[in-house]
Amino acid sequence: MRLIYCGYAGMNQIFRFFSFNSHHYSPETIEKSDSYQHNLVTITHLRQPPNLLFSKTMKPHSVAQPSSSLINTSTTATWLNFFFFIIIVFSQTPALANKGKLVITGSSTMAPLVSEIGKRFETVHPGTRIDVQTGGSSRGIADAVNGMADIGMVSRALKPQEDALHGATIAHDGITMILHQDNPVHKLTNEQIKAMYSGAITNWKTVGGMNAPITVVNKAAGRSTLELFLQYFSLSTRQIHAHVIIGDNEQGIKTVAGNPHAIGYVSIGTARYDATHGVPIRLLPLHDIPATLETVQDGTFPLSRPLTLVTRQQPTGLAQSFIEFSRSPAVHDLIFKQYFVPLP
Amino acid sequence: MLPQNTSFQERCSTMMIWFSAGLITLVFLWLLGDLFWHGWAQLSWSFLFSSPQNAGREGGIGPILFSTGLIIGVCMTVALPMGLSTAMFLAEYTQDDHRLGRLIRGSLDVLAGVPSIVFGLFGNALFCQAFGLGFSILSGGLTLACMVLPILIRTLEESFRAIASEQRLSAAALGLSRSTTLGCILLPAAIPGLVMGSILGLGRAMAETAALIFTSGYVDRMPESLMDSGRSLSVHIYDLAMNVAGGNPNAYATALVLVGLLFIINFCASWMAEQWTPLNQLPA
Repeated sequence: MRLIYCGYAGMNQIFRFFSFNSHHYSPETIEKSDSYQHNLVTITHLRQPPNLLFSKTMKPHSVAQPSSSLINTSTTATWLNFFFFIIIVFSQTPALANKGKLVITGSSTMAPLVSEIGKRFETVHPGTRIDVQTGGSSRGIADAVNGMADIGMVSRALKPQEDALHGATIAHDGITMILHQDNPVHKLTNEQIKAMYSGAITNWKTVGGMNAPITVVNKAAGRSTLELFLQYFSLSTRQIHAHVIIGDNEQGIKTVAGNPHAIGYVSIGTARYDATHGVPIRLLPLHDIPATLETVQDGTFPLSRPLTLVTRQQPTGLAQSFIEFSRSPAVHDLIFKQYFVPLP
Repeated sequence: MLPQNTSFQERCSTMMIWFSAGLITLVFLWLLGDLFWHGWAQLSWSFLFSSPQNAGREGGIGPILFSTGLIIGVCMTVALPMGLSTAMFLAEYTQDDHRLGRLIRGSLDVLAGVPSIVFGLFGNALFCQAFGLGFSILSGGLTLACMVLPILIRTLEESFRAIASEQRLSAAALGLSRSTTLGCILLPAAIPGLVMGSILGLGRAMAETAALIFTSGYVDRMPESLMDSGRSLSVHIYDLAMNVAGGNPNAYATALVLVGLLFIINFCASWMAEQWTPLNQLPA
C-alpha cells in the first residue's frame, strides 16, 4: 500500500507540474487571442476582480487574468485527483487476508499448465494466490533475476551461464517437425532439414516431393523452442533463411496447416492433439523415432526439453511448497491434459 | 458517340462504387458469419458467467468479462476527463500557431501511431515497476488510457473546433464567463464528438491485446480488487487461438461476445447522442 501511495503522490506532483505550466502559459495565450476573447476577458474582468495570487506572473501590459481560466485548470487537477482517489480507495479493499501470493512469469508454453496447477494449489492451500503471467522463457529468467516474479517458467534446460539460478523440472515436452498432410514427403534426414533451414535446399523436388518452393517456418527470437532446435541441428540464427516467423505453437500449426509447402517445428503435445482433431498436419519422425508422447517419456525421442521452474535463490516457504506440489503425482492428470509428459 | 461514351463511363463508375461498397459489406458479413458459425454453439448463459477450466478449453468467461469491464472502466475514468480538458485547452485556450498547442498536437499525432506493444512495455515499466502496481487491472487500465488519449483528444478537439464561432461571440456579448460558455454551451454542442471519440477509444481499448498482456496480465481468476491481475477478453482470445491446443471453439465464442459487446456499446452511445443533441442545439 505504501508503494501505491507513492504512486499517488507522484501522480499529484505530475499534475501540479502540468497545472503550473498552464498557468504560466495563460497570459501569453490571452495576448494572442481574438478580439472576441478580449471582450470576454474585459467583461469577466469587470465582473470579477483578478486573482491576486497569479497576477505576479503576468507581464505589466497584459490584460487582467480572467479567473475563469484559472478555475478551469485547477478544477481539472482537482477532478484528476478525485478520480485517482476513487481508484486508489477502491483498490485498497482486497476482500481476503492473503496467506501469501506468488507471481510466476515466463514461457507461454508452460503458462496454461502452471495456471491450472496454480488453481489446484489454491484449492489445496486456501488463502494463497498464484498469479501466472506469460511472455516467453527469456522473460521468465529476467523476471526471476530482477525480482518481478517469485518463480520464472523456462521451457528448456538452464544454460551454463544461468547456473546461479535454482531450477526444478516439472514435466517434459518434445519438439517435432511438422508438414502439411498433403505433402507426399514422409521422412526427412537431419541433414535435409538442416539444408532446408539454411537455404541450401529450396524445392521439395530435391527431397522427393512435389515441384514447389519450400516455405520455411521458424520461431521468433527468444523462444526456447528455437534455441533447442538450433542446438540440435547445430545451426546458428544467422544461417537460417526463414520465410515465416511465428510465436506460439498453435500459430505454427495454423501456418503449416494453411500451406501445403510449409515446414515447421512445434511442441509434440500440441501437434498430436491437433493432428488427431482434424487439423491437416503430419508429424515427422526424427532419426526414425516417431514423435509421440511415449517416446518422449521413455527418453528415446532425441529432441525434447524439460519444463523448468526457476528461482533466484533456494526456494523457501510458499515458492518451495508450490514447486514441490508441481513435481508431485497430484498434478499428473493436469500435465496429461495439457499434452505434456510428467516426471517418471 | 460522346453521350453514349459518357453513359458507359457513368455506368462503369457506378458499378465500381457499388462493387466496392458491396465488397466491404461482404467482408464484414463473412467475418460475422464465420464467428457465428464457429462460436454460436458454445454460447450460453453459463458460458458468460462461469469460470474457465482446463486452460480455457472448457468452462466460460465470467471472470474475464468482469476484468475487461474493470479495465475499460479504469481506462475511461482516467481518459475522459483528461482528454476533455486537453481538448478544451487545444481548441479554446490556444491559437492554431501557439507553440505549446503545436507541441501537444504533434506529440499526440506521433503517439496515435505508436504500436500498442510499445505502450505495453511502457506501461509495464512505468505502472507495474516504477509505481509498484505490479500486474494489475489498474496498470492495464492506465496503460490503455495512455493509448486511447491521443485518439480521444483529437476527436474531441475537432468537435470543439466545428462549433460555429458565433456561439462563442454571442456568449461573450451576453457577458457569460469563459467557464460558463464552455460548460453550458460548447460542451453540450460537442457531445456528438464526445460520444464518437469515446466509441473509437473504447473500440481500440477492447480490441487491445499487446498493451494488456504485460500490464493487466494473464490471470483468469475473478479479480477481488483493482490491484489483482485480470485477463481481458482479447488476451483470452489470443491465448486460446495461439497457445492452447483445442482452444479454438471457445476462442470463437469469446470473439463473438467481444463483437456483440462492441455492437451494444455502439448502439447505446449513438442512442445517447441522439437523446442529448436536439435539446442543446442552439440557433447559430
